[in-house]
Amino acid sequence: MRFHLIDRIDEYEPRRSVRGRTVVSAASPAVVDLGDGPVLPPPLVLEAICQAGTWLIMLSTERRKRAALLQIGGVRFVGDARPGDVVIVDGVVESMNDETAVLSGTARVAGKPVVEATDIMCALIDADDLEAPEDSERMLRQLTGA
Amino acid sequence: MTSLMSLDRVVDVESGRRAEAIRAVPGTLDLFDSHFPRFPVLPGVLILGTLGTLAELLMRDTTRSSWRLGGASGVRYRHFVRPGDLLRLTVELITHDDGTATCSAVAAVEERRVTTVRRLLLDRVAGGAPCAG
Repeated sequence: MRFHLIDRIDEYEPRRSVRGRTVVSAASPAVVDLGDGPVLPPPLVLEAICQAGTWLIMLSTERRKRAALLQIGGVRFVGDARPGDVVIVDGVVESMNDETAVLSGTARVAGKPVVEATDIMCALIDADDLEAPEDSERMLRQLTGA
Repeated sequence: MTSLMSLDRVVDVESGRRAEAIRAVPGTLDLFDSHFPRFPVLPGVLILGTLGTLAELLMRDTTRSSWRLGGASGVRYRHFVRPGDLLRLTVELITHDDGTATCSAVAAVEERRVTTVRRLLLDRVAGGAPCAG
């Protein structure tokens, strides 16, 4: 599967915050039935928070840097995202320098939290080492509608 | 049900104590096309989720009822996990009561710890039928 868990970036403020969304479809290979009906597994909702953060890092560094996960202080999976749901992801930068960033984030469905994560520490690494710049730029334009 | 967080082989389960399993990381995984084209690595959340799968199995074996991953704290990613790696996963039960359980967890490649989890939290599935075995 394409490992892109953010479908749209609705708003962002460089170095401060981002709001994105992922829509949940039964047609997505990410959606599985773990015993109580089809669901986007909670760790993938956490990944959506992390990916919103990494897009914010790119938008905050003129596309030079991406985030690689170093540690998660805490995460709670408190609800489910199921087919038909729109998951709204909010990420907030707690601190950031040239080498690392610390973010917190919440994913909500219909206003109710489904995943809450704190102290997500990331290493900022050269984006070009991971993906061709033109591909990242095309994806960012698609996500932001720019 | 196979998912991105499935185990490939359960090596050992000591009911009420610990469990150990293996997950292979083949280069054929589609997700490596996008994560990342120039430097494929297994996403850290999938390592966390797979440790959660093993912890759920341990708790199911221990209590004969269903559990689900409820959260984690103190998750540290020490090294990238690359195609061709074989993850050896270990969870140890720290404490549990009727509704919640806490485990510690480690994922290693050969002798090198790649991910450690100080606390893996599980919640008993409310209303879930006891497992057959």
